[in-house]
Amino acid sequence: MTELDYNEEEILARASKGDRDAFGILYGHYVERIFNYVYYRTGNPHDAEDLTARVFQRAMNHIKNYTDRGVPFSAWLYRIAHNLVANWHRDRSRKQEIPLDDLPVLPTKGDHPERNLVRSQEQDALLRMIRKLPPERQNLLILKFVENMSNAEIGKIMGRSEGAVKSLYHRTLLALRDQLEDQNLNLEGE
Amino acid sequence: MTDQIYQENFDEIETHLAGTLKPVTAPSGLFQRLYERIQLPTPSEITMRLSDWRKLIFVFGGVLSGMLLLITLARALYYLTGRKEIM
Repeated sequence: MTELDYNEEEILARASKGDRDAFGILYGHYVERIFNYVYYRTGNPHDAEDLTARVFQRAMNHIKNYTDRGVPFSAWLYRIAHNLVANWHRDRSRKQEIPLDDLPVLPTKGDHPERNLVRSQEQDALLRMIRKLPPERQNLLILKFVENMSNAEIGKIMGRSEGAVKSLYHRTLLALRDQLEDQNLNLEGE
Repeated sequence: MTDQIYQENFDEIETHLAGTLKPVTAPSGLFQRLYERIQLPTPSEITMRLSDWRKLIFVFGGVLSGMLLLITLARALYYLTGRKEIM
C-alpha cells in the first residue's frame, strides 16, 4: 500500500471494528518508528523488539477505545510506548541487568556501514548523558531528532502546548551543555 | 552578543544531537518476527488476499457468462427442434 492509498481515518474505523487486516496496515505504517523510539529509550535491541510487540498488542486490544479527540493515532501509540518503557525502567531498576553500554549497537540509517560499526566516544558520551536526563526530556530529544517531529507534533504526544515544548527543549539543551562543560567533553573533533 | 554565543553553542550541540540520534536500521527479520508474534497478516498476505478476491470475482463472472451461454444454446436448440416437430 502506497502513501497515497493510505487513508488513516478509514483504516482506523475498520481496525476499531476488529478488522485485523486494517490493523496490520497501521502496524506496517508505524512499527519502525515505534521500534526506533523504544530502542533509544532502552538502548537495548532485544528489549526494544519485545516492547514494540507489546505496544502493538496493547494497541490492538484497546483500539476500540481509541477516539480521535485531537490526539492523532500516532500520539496514542507513542503514549502506550512511553508507559511500557516507563514500566520497563521500573522493573529493570529492581533487578540486576546487563549494563546498557555492553549491549549491541544498531547501525543508523544513511551512514556508511563501516562507520556505523563504531560509535565515536563523543557520541557514546552524549548518548549516556541523554539517558540520564528525565524521561520527558529524553522523549523530546528522540521525537525531535530520531522522528524529525515538529514542536507542535511533539506537544500532541506529550500533552503539552507548542510553547511549553519549545521551552522544555531550550532547558534540555542548556542542561546538556552544562553537563558537557562539567565533563570537559569536547564535541568539536569527530 | 550573549544570545549569539548561546545560539552558537546550541547549534553545536544540536549538530551533535542530530549526528547521534539518528533512525536505526532494525535487525533483519524483526518485522516478520513481530508480525508472527502479534499474529497479524503481513502486507504481502493482505495483498494476496485482495488479489484472491479479484480472482474470485473473475471466476464467478466467468461461471455466470458460461451458464448464460449454455442457457442461450439450450433455448436455441429447443426452439429449433420444437419448430421441426410442429412442421
